[in-house]
Amino acid sequence: MNPSIPPEQIEQDVLAAMKKPGLLYWLALLFCGTVFIAGMVCWGYQLKTGLGVAGISHPVAWGIYITNFVFWVGIAHSGTLISAVLFLLRARFRTSFNRAAEAMTVFALMVAGLFPLIHLGRTWVFYYLIPYPNQRQIWVNFRSPLIWDVFAISTYLTVSLVFFYVGMIPDFAVVRRYAKGIRKKIYQVLSLGWEGRLGEWRNYNQLYLFLAAFATPLVASVHSIVSWDFAMSILPGWHTTIFAPYFVAGAILSGTAMVITLVVPLRKTLSLQRYITDDHFEAIAKILLFTSLIVSYAYIVEPALAAYGKNPFEIEEFRYRAFGDYGTLFWIMIFCNSILPLALFVKRLRRNIHFLFVLSLFVNIGMWLERFVIIVTSLARDYNPYAWGTYHPSIIEIGITLGGFGLFFSAYLVFLKTLPVLSITEIKERSDGTGNHS
Amino acid sequence: MAREIILENREAFVRKLRELVDGGVPAEKIHAQFPYPVHEVEEILGRRPGPVRYFTLIGAVTGFVAGFGLTIYTVLSWPMITGGKPLVSIPPFLLIAYILTILFGSLASFAGFFFLSILPKIGRLFTPLTEQANRFIITVEEEKR
Repeated sequence: MNPSIPPEQIEQDVLAAMKKPGLLYWLALLFCGTVFIAGMVCWGYQLKTGLGVAGISHPVAWGIYITNFVFWVGIAHSGTLISAVLFLLRARFRTSFNRAAEAMTVFALMVAGLFPLIHLGRTWVFYYLIPYPNQRQIWVNFRSPLIWDVFAISTYLTVSLVFFYVGMIPDFAVVRRYAKGIRKKIYQVLSLGWEGRLGEWRNYNQLYLFLAAFATPLVASVHSIVSWDFAMSILPGWHTTIFAPYFVAGAILSGTAMVITLVVPLRKTLSLQRYITDDHFEAIAKILLFTSLIVSYAYIVEPALAAYGKNPFEIEEFRYRAFGDYGTLFWIMIFCNSILPLALFVKRLRRNIHFLFVLSLFVNIGMWLERFVIIVTSLARDYNPYAWGTYHPSIIEIGITLGGFGLFFSAYLVFLKTLPVLSITEIKERSDGTGNHS
Repeated sequence: MAREIILENREAFVRKLRELVDGGVPAEKIHAQFPYPVHEVEEILGRRPGPVRYFTLIGAVTGFVAGFGLTIYTVLSWPMITGGKPLVSIPPFLLIAYILTILFGSLASFAGFFFLSILPKIGRLFTPLTEQANRFIITVEEEKR
């Protein structure tokens, strides 16, 4: 990277992304918006008719709604990893990705938060999950992992939003100089009248450091809590202590893949090659490879523990996972998450942006399947053969799932045109040659 | 009375600031505006970290206490045993306390930042005093002659 790009140049390059969108953008937004609305229509139908329109039933009562929930919460994680953990570690390549990744975190959590509500069936009584004094005179059960989820996800969303916004305050002060008309007014309000004074910066730096420090434990805790939705039960294949670290590594793997999926086209269409370099992609690819190895290790440990433990139900569960009704999905998952990412040991492939993009799509698919396989196979085959069964998602479930993707990508497209896609302030700081974040 | 010095880049800014301090201008009389964080500033002016951290601490402690308070209070106000676990089960309640520590700590820091930086600047929102752009501005308060 050219170490000294003039600050005005940086501003213009980044803000060029926010210019009037072209036809391609509108078509993309129209497509994603339509998919989203179609998903909402499916949900409306489910609300009106009842949860019977979904394929979930006895014994598989958790289907792709919960798969989607876990998937999207997982996607959110690497946004926080990149913005908070890499901030504390002073990794300079973070600056190229943090804004895009933080936006991804916020949108992914919004989508994730929808799915438990959709899964409830009677969505309108969702407030039973919130502890407040009520006429029923009972409180929520704080020993239930589902309540931990409510707390963990809502806290995660709040902290991520605050972090996202705080990171943008100095940038809004830049945008407001360039914007005109009503947009100028909006950015002026969003920038809160930021003037870059000594006192403002001192408090700001401290706040940013604390928020990063608070968000870091959330990376570990939120997906651990999600994993306990499963691990706290007694089903074979779910009831294991490895679940929390296994899920956290999986979350970062899938989220890193999603960052690559989003940033590769972003860099190309907005011509940001000067700011997001191949070196930065290589660094992200290394995170992907590392987490893929952890996940592969977990894939090995799980059946190994089952075999060593001599528990017939556990052994049968892992045999069923690999060779039963959902065996194909299991092997696709192994290929996408464990085998294909091994290619990243080759430096040339780590730096090949096209390869990374294709790989990231495979990992996204693989990680979605991982959640599906974990959830469905354990429910489909538990202790009593009389209670065994299989599950196939219905059209309505698939429609709502696609609607979730539609919502995520629509929100992302709107983000590209309304907020600065790179942290202008941090890139200025980085390009003056010192790049110390403190 | 104030003297304003406008500088075009970071090096000149840091140099000038150091010059002023070495020249005997007291640190509290120096004000500055800059477009991105410059870590040398704190070093040169020798100021201690600001009070945002106290907001963080108070928020975090409140969150921790609130987490245990809420869970223990609710479980005792309608004692119902579920899953054969003790009414006051520390491990799951610790999780709630942990999460609320993070939530309250972050929100209190956020509020502290607003309060201490006097943001949002209501009166000047649409008419900022100075639009510093990418310049570094040092303002030195001077004694009335």
